[in-house]
Amino acid sequence: MKRRVAITGLGVAAPLGRNMDELFSNLVAGRSAIRRLTLARGERLRSPIGAVADFDGSTHFSDVRLRMLDRVSQLALVAAAQAIADSRLDFTVESRERCGVCVGTSMGGAETSDDGYFTLYGEHSERIKPYSVLAAMSNAPAAWIGIDYGLSGPNLTYSTACSSSAVAIGEAANKIRCGEVDVMLAGGAEAPLAFGVLRAWEAMRTLASMDPLDASASCRPFSQTRTGLVLGEGAAFVALEDWQHAMARGAVIHAEFAGYGLTSDIAHITKPSIEGQANAMRAALRSAQLDTGAIDYINAHGTATMQNDAVETEAIKAVFGNRAHSIPVSSTKSMHGHLLGAAGALEFVIAVAALRHGIVPPTMHLNVADPVCDLDYVVDHARSGLALRSVMSNSFAFGGTNAVLIAEAARTHNPRLS
Amino acid sequence: MNTLRTLQDILIRDYGLTGERLCADAVLTELGLDSLSVLELMFKIEDRFHVTISGDTPTDLVTVNDVVRYIDGLLSAAS
Repeated sequence: MKRRVAITGLGVAAPLGRNMDELFSNLVAGRSAIRRLTLARGERLRSPIGAVADFDGSTHFSDVRLRMLDRVSQLALVAAAQAIADSRLDFTVESRERCGVCVGTSMGGAETSDDGYFTLYGEHSERIKPYSVLAAMSNAPAAWIGIDYGLSGPNLTYSTACSSSAVAIGEAANKIRCGEVDVMLAGGAEAPLAFGVLRAWEAMRTLASMDPLDASASCRPFSQTRTGLVLGEGAAFVALEDWQHAMARGAVIHAEFAGYGLTSDIAHITKPSIEGQANAMRAALRSAQLDTGAIDYINAHGTATMQNDAVETEAIKAVFGNRAHSIPVSSTKSMHGHLLGAAGALEFVIAVAALRHGIVPPTMHLNVADPVCDLDYVVDHARSGLALRSVMSNSFAFGGTNAVLIAEAARTHNPRLS
Repeated sequence: MNTLRTLQDILIRDYGLTGERLCADAVLTELGLDSLSVLELMFKIEDRFHVTISGDTPTDLVTVNDVVRYIDGLLSAAS
């Protein structure tokens, strides 16, 4: 029999939140972290906006250590440390080989790569930093977490673009479910706010235009006036553990990890598919042994691109039928931006917080309804006092890897498995 | 400023190390400087001492004093 998976720790280093409480209260208040960026060569950007994490690595790491860590690893280490502290796991008494790390990141140490290329091609210097390879490699965040806490089980990095960290969490949960490991730190990290990365995204014509009146309102998921996504940086982690393991050590269980659905669009490198997304939601429901009536909140992928929001709306309708219109669906990307490889993890921890608090965060800046986006998007104001049973978090991606995660309110007795 | 003092100054300013740890006998790895960090340090040394390091950096630099002697060698070769 498959084992149950408990979520016992949450941690973030993200726009709007240096910790979970700060993040969730800012989201409920409808605050946006999106603003005009100040960065080197930013004047060459058409739309110099992004969602910056309130994060200074020098307050967490020594100068010597900082030279080895790209910002993506700094963010990951801090968010993972919070998840561990929250879980009260003590790895000195755990079987280390039964503990592991799964991280999702799309661009890895992008800032280090950007700096290195500038040194070589911009400054025509040979002085590329000796730590460049080790700081830029995509598996650096996972490796550092494993090294710092001595976790000798699986140490894996997933890169499936914008679904990377949803995949990381889902795969980590599956490893616990099948009995391979007992504890996994799983999440995502991304630090893409470097000039070269921003310019490359601009070249693809998927980034939002800066709102001329209010830069913070530039990301408008599901609105007819949406112009694209806004990049953000940050990290989010969960501590996942075998349910019996968590119970035995008297852990506080925030929620049950209930289901994970994974499909591929096999359609086009960028264009999303209704069928692929819908099948991922169905697969997650099957994995959770839940029917569509059990889902009380969906944290949408909701990127604010023309394509995604229309396709995701159709996919939700295809799965949930008539009930689709009565489920609150919000895109918190309107406030924290699109964290690419870290988006799935950030939005999953937000969905878990919504479940625990009975509060659904809003979709902001949805100022003009789009006729093809006609669900209940929880516009402008959070909804509180809700008895949420299960929540779904959608993550879709360039390349077509769709990952959907479901969390369920923690119940000691689970009738599904009895 | 002599070589040791200048090197100590680099390590304090750029690596956030504290003065009392930086005696001549201090072991680089114990200060947190692994072999890659020492390679990076060579860029700073070139700038501060106005020397050019050509070819491979020696791999037998263990203590702060080893680096001082290496720099002094570069300076005398340049003069």
